[in-house]
Amino acid sequence: MQLNVPDRDYMHSGHVGCPGCGAAVAMKFVLRALGNKTIMVLPACCWSIIAGPYPQSTLQIPLIHSAFETGGAMASGVRAALDVKGDKETCVVTWAGDGGTFDIGFQALSGAVERNEDFIYFCYDNEAYMNTGIQRSSSTPYGAWTTTTPGRDWKRMRKKNIVEALVAHRIPYAATASIAYPEDLLRKVSKARSIKGSRFLHIFASCPTGWRIPSEISVKIARMAVQTNIFPLYEVENGRKYTINFMPKGYLVKEYFKLQGRFKHLSESDLDQIQAMVEEDWELLLRKAGVPLQG
Amino acid sequence: MAQDMTMKMIPLFIPRSHVSTAGNKTGSWRFLRPRYDEKTAPCSAACPAGEDIGRIAMLTAQGLFKEAWEAILKENPLPGVCGRVCFHPCEPACNRGEFDEAVAIHTLERFLADTAARYQLQADLERRSPRKQRVAVVGAGPSGLATAYFLTRLGYRCDVFEATPEAGGVLRWGIPSYRLPVAVLRREIEQMRRTGFEIRCNRRLSREFLQEAGATYDAVYLGCGHAKIPFLNIPGEDLEGVTDGLSFLQRVNRGDEPRLTGRVAIIGGGNTAVDVARTSLRLGAKPVLIYRRRRADMPAFPDEIQMALEEGVELLELRTVQRIDRAGEEYTLTLRQVPVVNCAAAGKACVQAVPQECERLAVSKVFRAIGLTAAESWFDPPPNENRVIRLNNSVLAYADGAPIIAYGGDVANPIKSVVHAVASAKEAAIALDITFQEGAEAIGERMKHCRVGGGSALSMEIHMQGPRCRRSDHVVAFDEINADYFELSPRIVQPRLLKEERIDSFAEIELKISANLAMREAERCFNCGLCNQCDNCRLFCPDLAVVKDADSGRHINYDYCKGCGICVVECPRNAMALEEENQTQMNTAEEGVHGRLT
Ligand SMILES: Cc1cc2nc3c(=O)[nH]c(=O)nc-3n(C[C@H](O)[C@H](O)[C@H](O)COP(=O)(O)OP(=O)(O)OC[C@H]3O[C@@H](n4cnc5c(N)ncnc54)[C@H](O)[C@@H]3O)c2cc1C
Ligand SMILES: Cc1ncc(C[n+]2csc(CCOP(=O)(O)OP(=O)(O)O)c2C)c(N)n1
Ligand code: SF4
Ligand code: SF4
Ligand code: SF4
Ligand SMILES: [Mg+2]
Repeated sequence: MQLNVPDRDYMHSGHVGCPGCGAAVAMKFVLRALGNKTIMVLPACCWSIIAGPYPQSTLQIPLIHSAFETGGAMASGVRAALDVKGDKETCVVTWAGDGGTFDIGFQALSGAVERNEDFIYFCYDNEAYMNTGIQRSSSTPYGAWTTTTPGRDWKRMRKKNIVEALVAHRIPYAATASIAYPEDLLRKVSKARSIKGSRFLHIFASCPTGWRIPSEISVKIARMAVQTNIFPLYEVENGRKYTINFMPKGYLVKEYFKLQGRFKHLSESDLDQIQAMVEEDWELLLRKAGVPLQG
Repeated sequence: MAQDMTMKMIPLFIPRSHVSTAGNKTGSWRFLRPRYDEKTAPCSAACPAGEDIGRIAMLTAQGLFKEAWEAILKENPLPGVCGRVCFHPCEPACNRGEFDEAVAIHTLERFLADTAARYQLQADLERRSPRKQRVAVVGAGPSGLATAYFLTRLGYRCDVFEATPEAGGVLRWGIPSYRLPVAVLRREIEQMRRTGFEIRCNRRLSREFLQEAGATYDAVYLGCGHAKIPFLNIPGEDLEGVTDGLSFLQRVNRGDEPRLTGRVAIIGGGNTAVDVARTSLRLGAKPVLIYRRRRADMPAFPDEIQMALEEGVELLELRTVQRIDRAGEEYTLTLRQVPVVNCAAAGKACVQAVPQECERLAVSKVFRAIGLTAAESWFDPPPNENRVIRLNNSVLAYADGAPIIAYGGDVANPIKSVVHAVASAKEAAIALDITFQEGAEAIGERMKHCRVGGGSALSMEIHMQGPRCRRSDHVVAFDEINADYFELSPRIVQPRLLKEERIDSFAEIELKISANLAMREAERCFNCGLCNQCDNCRLFCPDLAVVKDADSGRHINYDYCKGCGICVVECPRNAMALEEENQTQMNTAEEGVHGRLT
């Protein structure tokens, strides 16, 4: 009955993530698959705090805090240093939020992967700048309330499709993953670790505080994002070969939206419009994956 | 020159963390508190014998067949019998029924009993140390035998007296072998007897025994069953050739298989009637069942009726027999149609015998098979009076200076079935045990704790203070299951003999299933309310506050648990609970310790 995933954790209790933090679950899973021969670069984000103030660290691997916009560049440097030392075994990873990835860190990331630097870039996506108080990012989904898209001015732009942007760089491996699907997530991390060159993992990680949801449904809501096709699970090899990992069961997006305070202002017609947008994105993905559209 | 080119080392200072965050006791943030809280599965509350079905299925899925079989035996000594002939009220209560199809619980039960037989397994069941009281059991039907079995395990000495040459009651002499092979019954009786009691066959006791018993026994259990078919009160029913259906089944079960020809009529709609019909079909006749209400109202189990019709039994519903006439070898039944006047949605159709056209039916033989009653009046429980305790499935009568008389099985049960006979046995055994140890006044209060899910089914394991005691009696509903963790998968199809193979033999109809199929079926079970060690709670905890114990259980480390509740929601089977912190005292980590696999 137990899921087939590695059992050893490389994290300590006592971290200061909010109760039910999806980003903490994401880190826990990723480390299980990476193991402790790993160095992590951590641009400013919630995890800068969760990891603990000096002299504490909640991770059992070396971790370097970096400036907000430098995740890609810093990791390139660490890799180069290890190469000088002749250390081929240690895996260099960046762990950044959506703000640090989609927005401010994007050029450093793009530069690093364009050079095909040998590292894994993890973006844990909680769909806003959570650490500084829930400001919208280019990852915040259409329809969401944030403190910078308040009241009737809820966000009316679509979420940036970051995986497609990375795929456009033709990197060896890019994939989405979710904290609600640990087997899929850990498999993808292990697979990424076994590949050379730039690898990118986009991990959906719920945020009870910023999404205005009860903490106990934190994993459930992440699962619903996959079930409703809002966050499809797929992977792309060498910028060309698409594989869809989860075929949806036809749940409606409104089931997902109505559980979250950040969407409570949306009307039925807004939700219908969002349903259509999700379907359009899904069909686009099916086409790229060469899967025939269903009736 | 080269020396000048060497890089000069400049000191580099990077602050480096050197302690973990374990010093932050984040448990102080918590205002909700998760805990392990095993509950009751609806199937086990619906099983009159209170079998621990969720756990039985869990053990079966793990391939632990002996342990699963023993888990049944704790509550029901007749899994091979019940796996075949029980009408399985557990299955309509199964939560999986709301997802795709109910788990085939009876199929698993039978598989486990057959596997135990195949490998000649001996059960290791706990038994209490001997007590001084002795109990006489009258009647070795399922209820008498099960009573002796439970009382022996509770430490009492029992003697069973049986009128016929062999134990089993209706299971031996009534139910035909195409549904219940004798070997299966014999094995389970032997298994029960081995707990340590005597069965004295060919000992028909008389009413006087009740007076004499006091010299040897502290209690007498009367499980004499219902073996008399009442008369219909119509002209011609006493003609030679109009036979009592139960005697006919007894004769066939003794090995005498008369050839029958032509149409035969069976009057009645219960299990006896259907078994007589199917038996006479196998002996060459064309049976017609005559029942006064609708098919849906027949007391026989629906599956049995369905199979009888498939095999070629004819059913005439809504007919009463007015009279029976004989001319030579032929009998003529005069039938009257009974129109339905009022169809209550639940319950039986109300019918009214208005004069209508009469029909005639010519047959070569007639069987009377309407509802059975007790053969002698002293088998029946006394009316309610002082010092008579009427429980759900049994009745206890107390008198000064005389043994306690307990009544169970068909004589005391509103629903007459094997599993209810076992329920009577358990109830009476527990009631006698409480009476002997603490006095009859304690029965109500003490029995309450043995109720499975607070209903009428009792658990012997709970009475004997086994691990099942720790479960809450909250009955898990389907919407408390996290169905996202389960995939649709069809229920096992019970393999059966083809119709053609069935109708001219007494070979068992339902065939064995393989261990693989049984395990697959058992995996369909949600294990409602029970921990199956899936580890989800530990896997998803963002705070690493769920700790695995050496013996495969888990506990919550409340020093760090922030009370997010993810573990509780992601437990697929509702084996945890989330409560407000102030409802319970701040406890030590110990309190989170889990009911682990034993
Ligand atoms: C034909 C038929 C088919 C049935 N099919 C099913 C079925 O498929 N599923 C199901 O769940 N139920 C079925 N039932 C009902 C079920 O068999 C009974 O409810 C059950 O056997 C009752 O058990 P019991 O121990 O109370 O009585 P019984 O099984 O009747 O046993 C009573 C025993 O007491 C003995 N006895 C009686 N008087 C004395 C005496 N004075 N001294 C000593 N011994 C005595 C009898 O010989 C007998 O062995 C069926 C019943 C019949 C008749
Ligand atoms: C250049 C710069 N601008 C602003 C900040 C302040 N800052 C720190 S974390 C953060 C938000 C990070 O958002 P995201 O990357 O989505 O991670 P999250 O906090 O949501 O986990 C901001 C704006 C900073 N550290 N550096
Ligand atoms: S799923 Fe299993 S435990 Fe739950 S009701 Fe059905 S048989 Fe019982
Ligand atoms: S998941 Fe962990 S932190 Fe959350 S309630 Fe359960 S034990 Fe506590
Ligand atoms: S999640 Fe799994 S291991 Fe945890 S209590 Fe529930 S069944 Fe047991
Ligand atoms: Mg963010």
